[in-house]
Amino acid sequence: MYLDLHSHSVSSDDSRATVEQFLKWIQVLRKRGYTADGIVLTEHRKFDRDKDYSALAAQYGVVVLKGSELDTRYGHFLVYGVNEGLTADIDFADVRLDARELMKAARHHGAIALPAHPGRFGIGLVDYMELGEEFPDVRIVERLNGGSRAGENERAAELCEKQGYLGIGCSDAHLASHICACVTQFEAEIRNEADLVEALLTGEFRPVWLEDTRKADRE
Amino acid sequence: MVMDLDYDRSLYGVEHQAGPFEVTREMVQAFSKSIGETGPIYNDEAAAKAAGYSGVVAPPTMCTLFVRHVELPDIKLKFGRSRFHAGQRVQAKGIISAGDSLTASSHLKEVYPKTGRSGTMVFIVWETTFRNQNGQVVADVQESFAARE
Amino acid sequence: MAENTVYFEDVDLGDEIGPLERVARDQDVIDFCQLWGNPMPNRFTDQEKAEKTRLPGPILPGIMSMALMAQLLTDWASPESLKDLDLVFRQPVPHNKPLRISATVTDTRQEDGENLVTCDILMTGAEGERYVGGTALLSLPSRQAESG
Repeated sequence: MYLDLHSHSVSSDDSRATVEQFLKWIQVLRKRGYTADGIVLTEHRKFDRDKDYSALAAQYGVVVLKGSELDTRYGHFLVYGVNEGLTADIDFADVRLDARELMKAARHHGAIALPAHPGRFGIGLVDYMELGEEFPDVRIVERLNGGSRAGENERAAELCEKQGYLGIGCSDAHLASHICACVTQFEAEIRNEADLVEALLTGEFRPVWLEDTRKADRE
Repeated sequence: MVMDLDYDRSLYGVEHQAGPFEVTREMVQAFSKSIGETGPIYNDEAAAKAAGYSGVVAPPTMCTLFVRHVELPDIKLKFGRSRFHAGQRVQAKGIISAGDSLTASSHLKEVYPKTGRSGTMVFIVWETTFRNQNGQVVADVQESFAARE
Repeated sequence: MAENTVYFEDVDLGDEIGPLERVARDQDVIDFCQLWGNPMPNRFTDQEKAEKTRLPGPILPGIMSMALMAQLLTDWASPESLKDLDLVFRQPVPHNKPLRISATVTDTRQEDGENLVTCDILMTGAEGERYVGGTALLSLPSRQAESG
């Protein structure tokens, strides 16, 4: 199945898309022959514990999961499987989190934290690694990011090759029509956040562009 | 710890007034020309009147020209060396046309931190309401500025 | 400028609006700044001033980019149709380069007697650079209202 693991609804300060608009747009993509099975809302610096999108998910036939995108001193990190233990240990609103502590805390609580857009100039993990910083707990990075500028996804791909990291694909959509521009193809069936963490830990996934999900092209 | 922002919080709830700003036919025409808008209702008074307007129609975001004429106080933010215009929102509530006289009322809406391509930034959002000579709200404008290190 | 009325019933999710293609010349920006009352030279009109603010060259004022983007929508529909235009300035917009403005319909709904259309709107460069992005809300007339 194909999931977009990085998206922002109006719950994030810089997004202009409602969750329902994302789901409506996925219907447009499906009519155009693309496959998009689900999205993960990764709002900036917060976790929307009380937001329930199950009715919308059922109405539109799209898996809707929740995660977070946090600001660290080493760039942005996507967090999946967020739970009360993790939010108690980590201040999600802090814009200068220690990424290494975040990754350790996430695993301790059964969640997973990984670098978003590592090839992004000025803020990506690649820049920090070039300065000599080491991140021994990184196994997976966001290899395809739909909001990347020219060259940034290529830097992420080089990083994956050099370090042996696995990659996910994500839109980083802040507008409805950008959802699922890049997605992650999973072997497993993912229905909730725990399934997602488990699937990420198995390593059985790959990043793809939306164009690669066309049914006709895959058959 | 959440980033502790140091700025003048007493500015919340304070309105800063400016105007009146007279919307003239020449101003609307010059604005239209600078953006390449050739539509008759924006340029020709007779065409605008024939279409039911009282004068040449100001393109809906033209009121943003007046925001810089509101004297906004320094919020005394202790962060950043430079600022840039990060975002702009116009909610149009009514047509503005030549002959209208607008007043502006601005207030500090919010200040918040985040990190982006330029590192840590602090966003400052001002909101301005424009009313016409009849007291009708014709537009709400929000301007966001980002202070960066 | 719209020559024909765009009706709510004729608009579908996924419809593309535009593109509007423009090049903002130096003189256009100077004229805009003059009207705006922004003292010149400034970073919008002058190379040296722009470089002092860490820009590669003079750029379009944000409100000028916004005016260009609004134009796509008001020319498609009408000036009164545009209810909300909410933009994020993602990269500086250069002078004298092709600018492409396009919108995509992402939602249509009837609410409180209004026929509302939401669009994503983008200003991009020749290499696909995303200069400005955001959303717009328009209220369109209905054929049913006209026939009723």
